[in-house]
Amino acid sequence: MKIFKLPDLGEGLQEAEIVQWHVKAGDEVAIDQPLVSVETAKAIVDIPAPYAGRIVKLYGAERDVARVGAPLIAFEGGDDSDTGTVVGKVEIGQQVIAEAPAGATPLAHGIKAMPAVRALARKLNIDLTMVTPTGADGLITANDVQRAARILAELGPQELLRGVRKVMAQSMTLAHAEVACATIMDDADIDAWPEDASVMLRLIRAIVAAARAEPSLNAWYDSQAVGRRLLKNVDLGIAVDTPDGLLVPVLRNVEQRAPEELKTSLARLVQDTRNRKVPPEDLRANTITLSNYGSIAGRYASPIVLPPTVAIVGAGRISKEVVVVDDKPAVHRILPLSLTFDHRAVTGGEAGRFLAAMMADLQRAD
Amino acid sequence: MAQITLVEAVNLALARAMADDPDVVVLGEDVGRDGGVFRATLGLLDKFGPERVMDTPLAENLIAGMAIGMAAEGLKPVCEIQFSGFAYTTLDQILNHAGRMRHRTQGRLSCPLVLRTPCGAGIHPPEHHSESPDAMFAHIPGIRVVYPSSPKRAYGLLLAAIRDPDPVVFLEPTRLYRLFKEDVIDNGEALPLDTCFTLREGTDITLVTWGAMVYEALQVADELGEQGIVAEVIDVATLKPLDFDTILASVAKTGRCVVVTEAPRHCSVASEIAATLAEHGLLTLLAPVQRVTAPDIVVPLARLEQHYLPGKQQILAAVKKTLQFA
Amino acid sequence: MTSAATFRIEYLQFLDAHGKAAAALPAFAQDPAALIPLYRAMVLMRTYDAKAIALQRTGQIGTYASILGKEAVEAGVGAAMATDDVLLCTYRENGAQIMRGVTMCELLLYWGGDERGSDFAGPRRDFPVCITIASQCLHAVGVAYAIKLRRQPRVAVCMLGDGATSKGDFYESMNAAGTWRLPVVFVVTNNQWAISVPREAQSAAQTLAQKAIAAGFEGVQIDGNDVVAVHHAMREALAKARSGGGPTLLEAVTYRLADHTTADDASRYRPPEEVAAAWKCEPVLRLRNYLSEAGVWNKTLEEELLRQCNEQVQAAAQAYLDTPAPPVEQMFDHLYLTLPAAYAVQRAAILAVAAEAAQ
Repeated sequence: MKIFKLPDLGEGLQEAEIVQWHVKAGDEVAIDQPLVSVETAKAIVDIPAPYAGRIVKLYGAERDVARVGAPLIAFEGGDDSDTGTVVGKVEIGQQVIAEAPAGATPLAHGIKAMPAVRALARKLNIDLTMVTPTGADGLITANDVQRAARILAELGPQELLRGVRKVMAQSMTLAHAEVACATIMDDADIDAWPEDASVMLRLIRAIVAAARAEPSLNAWYDSQAVGRRLLKNVDLGIAVDTPDGLLVPVLRNVEQRAPEELKTSLARLVQDTRNRKVPPEDLRANTITLSNYGSIAGRYASPIVLPPTVAIVGAGRISKEVVVVDDKPAVHRILPLSLTFDHRAVTGGEAGRFLAAMMADLQRAD
Repeated sequence: MAQITLVEAVNLALARAMADDPDVVVLGEDVGRDGGVFRATLGLLDKFGPERVMDTPLAENLIAGMAIGMAAEGLKPVCEIQFSGFAYTTLDQILNHAGRMRHRTQGRLSCPLVLRTPCGAGIHPPEHHSESPDAMFAHIPGIRVVYPSSPKRAYGLLLAAIRDPDPVVFLEPTRLYRLFKEDVIDNGEALPLDTCFTLREGTDITLVTWGAMVYEALQVADELGEQGIVAEVIDVATLKPLDFDTILASVAKTGRCVVVTEAPRHCSVASEIAATLAEHGLLTLLAPVQRVTAPDIVVPLARLEQHYLPGKQQILAAVKKTLQFA
Repeated sequence: MTSAATFRIEYLQFLDAHGKAAAALPAFAQDPAALIPLYRAMVLMRTYDAKAIALQRTGQIGTYASILGKEAVEAGVGAAMATDDVLLCTYRENGAQIMRGVTMCELLLYWGGDERGSDFAGPRRDFPVCITIASQCLHAVGVAYAIKLRRQPRVAVCMLGDGATSKGDFYESMNAAGTWRLPVVFVVTNNQWAISVPREAQSAAQTLAQKAIAAGFEGVQIDGNDVVAVHHAMREALAKARSGGGPTLLEAVTYRLADHTTADDASRYRPPEEVAAAWKCEPVLRLRNYLSEAGVWNKTLEEELLRQCNEQVQAAAQAYLDTPAPPVEQMFDHLYLTLPAAYAVQRAAILAVAAEAAQ
């Protein structure tokens, strides 16, 4: 109940006689609505409602004398009448709290350096991650910072990476920290290919065939939720080397597209990429990646798997090798293949089957 | 000039203050006829009479409380609490009234009292006689807390405390009462309150301490000196208000600091100094600030006391750790 | 068996509950008109008290401790003291403080939460209100000691409640006052209630006055609703102290007609019949009856007095309400005589935050 007390009537008046009640218990009143007329030594005054509310109880009958500061009317709601203290005012709130348990925070293991040493590094513009500590327990000393400063001074100013190179630095750092890479390698004997075969088209077809045979490499892995999505469509990211750096535009739904159309799309995509004309939405959300580094150099590699994908196919430099055919040596064209996969989501068996399927498709003549 | 002990210096200062100012009175248990259980008030009854040197009934609350009444009336009472453990009873009067009277009345009434008590461990007494109430008093607003470490400073700081217009809790290191002597001139000259005393200048490390531990700290400084390490030794002397500027300037010079107190670790005055160094001197520090303190346990009785009180060994270990940090 | 000590506590009453003379009145009360100033003082302090409660109920001051019912103790004590005497009292002696020259505006400033209310313009040596129970007894001993040391004809008057007589501080003070024969008068207002703890639960002693016996001096019990008895006992005790006769304890028996404070609800722990019965013996009514009966008071004079009191109280309340809040610096101004350099930074920080908040 909210108790409304007879307010100070001014002029030193301490009491008033209740002349007439204008409300009764149960009434809803509006703010400023006259509640009661009281007579003081000076006059009859109306006491207005200090707030809106429902009347619960009236204190005193007509002709009774009410004292200033004594209860006059009880309204519904509000504080309990027990103040719960003999001094001051203890606030009573209605909020109910429910504390959520604090999550476990991971241990921080950062750079160890005294504040003075950090300030020195800042002053000399030295990145502490580049400084080799010589102090106990990995502590970077002032000397260490000064040594690093001397070395870097001799090397000249560093180039701060920007744009595509910066993105590559950041995403590779993230990928390296997270992905559990494993790589298997093999050779595809492509001697049966016709002369005008397009390496890229055959590789794309082989990836589609392999994804059909072993879908778990065409998937996205979510490390937070520890879950994966096997994807129906193959959106193939193509690693493209540009003057600005590495970009990976995406050919969507390659499993549905005809070879001729793919060929022209691919050519256009690569050109647009090199001219920096590819829209951002075509640079993301691939389901698997192809890196044809062999067009430059290199046989086998273990390229970086970029989350959330779980596999990247590496195609090496095609060369003529001596192989065994019907127990006799022969010279055939060989396409080295590397398959790097995220072992958090893909097993060795799955990767092997994927690679075998690729090889089977690549080794066909047509 | 005389070579006197610390407790004799207290006695000298009291006699001096009482001779110079008829408003200075002394009260406490056994301070009159017996001259105080540690003889700090020896001879004062004969010199100044029983009205100014009061043997009170056995009641610490009374001693502190009536001192407040006396001070409000313009007397300058110097009350003695016989032992540190009994000083806790006076926290009520000191905290709730002495430290507040000036503020409560907006300067109309004030409280120029001094409360003296022997503190600290090391004399192998029964329980409750080895307390370090430094931090408890230092936490109280409106008072000063002073802790001398030598006869000269006891003389000069006690005179300053008695003359100060605000309440002063004067903690006396029992263990040093008679441990050594010093030349003290009875010239009535006060030493400054609110300031540290740099007892040794140094470049390699700053030792900050007060009370009885100054004695050990100086010995440690000597030993370090033989090893080519020059330690700066600072006697804080006034624990509240504390002269942080001197300590910060010293650490700016040396980069390394060990704070030594015989009080228990948690919420000690040493912690206040360490926190202030972290707040205002962080960039001058070459190593973390070390606190050498007693552990957070009940002061043991005599047979284990030497394992409780920090000593030269602990101070040296802390110094070594600090110097070897990087 | 021989007796090691005996004691006797006298009970003093002159005007009974109906306002009739129960014993031969002391010299100062022979002429009834001589009691009118006491009556006026009691009515003024009751008017002030009611106003203070009203101000609290309307949120203009904080928690307030009413003096309703003990006006005779306050008037009797306050009127007996000399200007140079020192009053050390609790939070429930505003009436005595008014008689000592503390203004009602100062009192309201105090209850309103402003330290300037304790910087009395009038009685410069009186102690500020003491909230901690019985601490003022120790302070009174110190004041009395200083007075005695300087051979001054002044007395420390220490007012306390029944609950306070259970505290160590009280016993220690009484003991010291007796031992040193100090010029102090302890006035215990026994209003029967220490918040919700009744007198019977506070002490097994038959009277609180006899605690003086244990301290080696005289204790007297008085009808605290009889202002003549209070005033007479007080005059005697002060004279004794002033002439080197040492301390006295006066136990003034009365009743706390209001709640402990404006935040308390006494109906939780005491029966309404008891309060109603106490109203019948209350001090203002009693004296009014006596004065009316003696022909020196009437309705016209009463109305005029009430009008004057209301006017005074209203003016004081207005003066309080018109006083702006103190400046923020006030928190630091009188921490020490001179603020140590170490705290200048804290002071500046607080002022900066306050200035920013004000914008």
